Amino acid sequence: MSAVNAQHAVPTALWRARLRLALQSLRENWQLFVRTRIGIIGLAIIGLYALLALAHPILMNTVWEPRTYDPVVGYAFDETQQPAPPSLKHLLGTDPLGRDILSQLMFSARSEFLLGLLAATVTVVIGTAVGAIAAYFGGWVDTLLMRLADIMIMMPAISVLIVLSALIGVEHFELALIIGILSGFGATGVVLKSQALSVVVKPYIDAARSAGGGHFHIILVHIVPNLLPLSFLYMMFTVTSAIFSEAVLSFLGLLDVRMSWGLMIHTTESAGYLLQVTEFWWLIFPASLSITLLCSAFYLVGRSLDEVVNPRLRSR
Amino acid sequence: MAKYLLKRLAQILVTLFVFLTLVFFIVNAQPGDVSNFYALNPDVPPETRERLQDLFGVNEPLWKQYLVHIKNTFTGNFGISFSHYPRSVADVIMERLPRTVVLFMTATALSFYLGFALGKILAWRRGGWFEYTSTVGGVTLYTVFTPWFGLMMIWLFAFKAGWLPIGKFLDPVLWRDASIDANSVFNQMILTAFVVSVVVFAVFVITGQRRMGNARIIRIASIALASLAVAGVWISSGTVVFAWDILRHMVLPVVTLTLISFAGTMLLTRNSMLETMREDFVMAARAKGLPERAVRDKHVARNALLPVVTSFIFSLAFAVDGGVITESIFSWPGMGQTLVSATLTEDLPLAVGAFVFVGIFVLVAHLVADVLYAYLDPRIRY
Amino acid sequence: MTTDPVLVVEDLKMHYVTRAGTVRAVDGVSFAVARGQSLGLVGESGCGKSSIAMTLLKLLPDNARLVSGSIILNGVDLTTLSEDQMRAHRWDRISMVFQAAMNSLDPVYRVGDQIIEALEAHSASAGRDAMERVRELFDLVSLDPTYIRRYPHEYSGGMRQRAIIAMALACEPDIIIADEPTTALDVIVQDHILREMQAIQRSLNMSMIYISHDMAVIAEVCDVVGVMYAGKLVEFGPTTEVYARPIHPYTKALMSAFPSVRGEKHDLTTLPGEPPDLLDLPAGCAFHPRCAYATDECRTSIPPTVQRGDHWATCWNPVDDLGGE
Repeated sequence: MSAVNAQHAVPTALWRARLRLALQSLRENWQLFVRTRIGIIGLAIIGLYALLALAHPILMNTVWEPRTYDPVVGYAFDETQQPAPPSLKHLLGTDPLGRDILSQLMFSARSEFLLGLLAATVTVVIGTAVGAIAAYFGGWVDTLLMRLADIMIMMPAISVLIVLSALIGVEHFELALIIGILSGFGATGVVLKSQALSVVVKPYIDAARSAGGGHFHIILVHIVPNLLPLSFLYMMFTVTSAIFSEAVLSFLGLLDVRMSWGLMIHTTESAGYLLQVTEFWWLIFPASLSITLLCSAFYLVGRSLDEVVNPRLRSR
Repeated sequence: MAKYLLKRLAQILVTLFVFLTLVFFIVNAQPGDVSNFYALNPDVPPETRERLQDLFGVNEPLWKQYLVHIKNTFTGNFGISFSHYPRSVADVIMERLPRTVVLFMTATALSFYLGFALGKILAWRRGGWFEYTSTVGGVTLYTVFTPWFGLMMIWLFAFKAGWLPIGKFLDPVLWRDASIDANSVFNQMILTAFVVSVVVFAVFVITGQRRMGNARIIRIASIALASLAVAGVWISSGTVVFAWDILRHMVLPVVTLTLISFAGTMLLTRNSMLETMREDFVMAARAKGLPERAVRDKHVARNALLPVVTSFIFSLAFAVDGGVITESIFSWPGMGQTLVSATLTEDLPLAVGAFVFVGIFVLVAHLVADVLYAYLDPRIRY
Repeated sequence: MTTDPVLVVEDLKMHYVTRAGTVRAVDGVSFAVARGQSLGLVGESGCGKSSIAMTLLKLLPDNARLVSGSIILNGVDLTTLSEDQMRAHRWDRISMVFQAAMNSLDPVYRVGDQIIEALEAHSASAGRDAMERVRELFDLVSLDPTYIRRYPHEYSGGMRQRAIIAMALACEPDIIIADEPTTALDVIVQDHILREMQAIQRSLNMSMIYISHDMAVIAEVCDVVGVMYAGKLVEFGPTTEVYARPIHPYTKALMSAFPSVRGEKHDLTTLPGEPPDLLDLPAGCAFHPRCAYATDECRTSIPPTVQRGDHWATCWNPVDDLGGE
């Protein structure tokens, strides 16, 4: 009984020490992150859109009447002609089908976040696994995974999605999955593997191995935690590419989604307002700018994290 | 070097097979078999459909279908396009491939040159408004929603200013009575560009090797002479109006594609330069009393170029995606636009064929970039 | 010996301005090097030896400040020169053999071309003449002339070091600074190269400054030695004098930390403690926290100069007085 307790006690203490160390380095890294400035700008933009996404259901349940303001099936009965320019009731006007632009914008923000999160999670789970396994086992496992990575890197993601949309039909879930798989088995996996290689050669891995630690245990307890900072960085870049791909595909009208920023521009295009940029600016700018801003926000956070995680780039 | 290139070539070939296998499974993963594509299309008469079923071996077991699929790819048999019925997919692709190659190559060369030159300056002058504006501008262009940016370009330069045509490959009014076919004009243009670049490249290599003092004058003169010769030949041929029309249509897509892709190279070059600047040989170059410019261009930039080219090779797929998007916005009838429009019209044989070619295009670009890298890095060359 | 000084350094101070404060990397250093003489600068890492080298060439990072002092090379004060004028002096009059010879050659150019580049920058010779000069230099450092057209990665470590030496000799400078010239090499190659450098130096009657942490290397090749601690020279004198009768306890400690090249057997002792933090130097003598002979004076006041002929040190309690050995 006591032996069992002792066995449990050691890892707990270890984890507590690790946690303390992690918190300390987190604080230091946060200061570095703040110093880069661009990361803060990115975080601010992300925060703004997160607020918009969170506010949408609240507004729909309180001040916005669903019949008028529903982003997909609503119709602005209060306007005489569609698309209507911005007014007090419709802050960003309405689209050619009489739907409130602001409501569409806020509604889509939520799905962009979910999409990004899903794609990033898939990427990091696959990438970390690929990186850790390839580095730890080496040999033919490594060769196989790296050749696969070569192929994934050479896959033009958007073209793949386009052809898939013709064959099987693509929604947000499939899109996130495909982006995640391409990036996880591809670039992210390769980068995480090179990071894992520097961990694998450390003496404590050998020590763990000679102490009889199982492969799975060593990978999970000793290697994966060391990959987390870098994988977090690659999550950011995956979010950017997921949002961007989604926007392109729905803009081209190839995605089965109810509403998204890309689809808003697609609607504008099919109604023929695309080149009346100054006359019908609210049909083009809010959605396009949102895509651009959110993509660059995640990219900026990624760049800034890069300077924190990657000491070679730290300014002298 | 031969060994390195052979190894890369073998890898690319393996990759190609895996890629084709993936395509095969994706195509077969959808409900029904390939012949359903045709069965649903009223344009395709039943006898053609049967012939196509034979071609794809749909009644054979799956492994045989796979072999047929590989064989068809290498013999260029992708079936018949619906939207261009009765033209074969291969025929449509062959018409459009050169357009993509030209658009992509021009934009890539321009954006790489621009990105590298700016990144170089950016690393040398840290801080100040120049770094600030270039970084912000670069990141904006890098992450901008490409279709919107392309749209703004069209709106500004074609729609409002009217300087350039709104998309497409040529002006149908001008070509209505043309005795010559657009593709042959375009092919002649490619040939001209190829000959000129070979001549200029040869001049640059020769002047570079001989260490001639007046190398610069010879280079400029050779470029001027080549341009004059080209102008002379084209003007006398009488097809110059048509070539000019195609060129005018090319400007906006090329500029757009260049602008959206140069920023990546620029930011990468900056980082790579900053890392290279800490190398000992840079200190040694300074200690040798070389002028700052020589230190920057001959030593730092030349070495910083290597990782930039490597990353560029890794981002090729991304760049090709940018090309696909640009083509479809500007209705530039290349592979990318074909892929999108075939998908939209559910012309599946053409969509799959175009996709296969986009994939092969990335692979070939990869190989070309590998050769270039091997040329740039003596550690691989020797 | 002291006739015709090629280089006179007077009260040289170079500080780095960092976020944490001012680092006094070179803090009032004076010395002179005569024609044909070789000076050794010795000290632990971080004592400012390499900073002196970079200051003499005026190759300083942005955050470095040349606070005071003069560097007079052949009668020209380098500290007063503009960047363009300085550029003309670099390599032509004062050149350097770098610490990391492995990385001091640009990997993408042929070694011969890199030497020619230096020659052409100072219009020493160009074209065919330059090639002839490279051949001469390769001969001088006993490198196979076929390697002129090879790339650095095809060279072994020792060959690269020879190539770097050839490059440093290219413009026949008045003085060459060798910063840890052989540290990265194995002992046998190290010995060969040191001997050759010494032979070349003597035959060309050139001046040299060797910078090393290794007392043995300095003892082997230098006429005069300066011991550095915390940005200052703490002892200076003819090599034989300094080695036979060290004045400063630091010098003595350094000597016993290295095996003697002359083969006398004695126990190696390691120096206790860490080199001082240049951001926060101890008061008085900077060495006092690690010194076995430290007294109260050492902790409060700057030590005086103890002169023994042309051999001097700054110390309150000179070890040669204590009759320690």
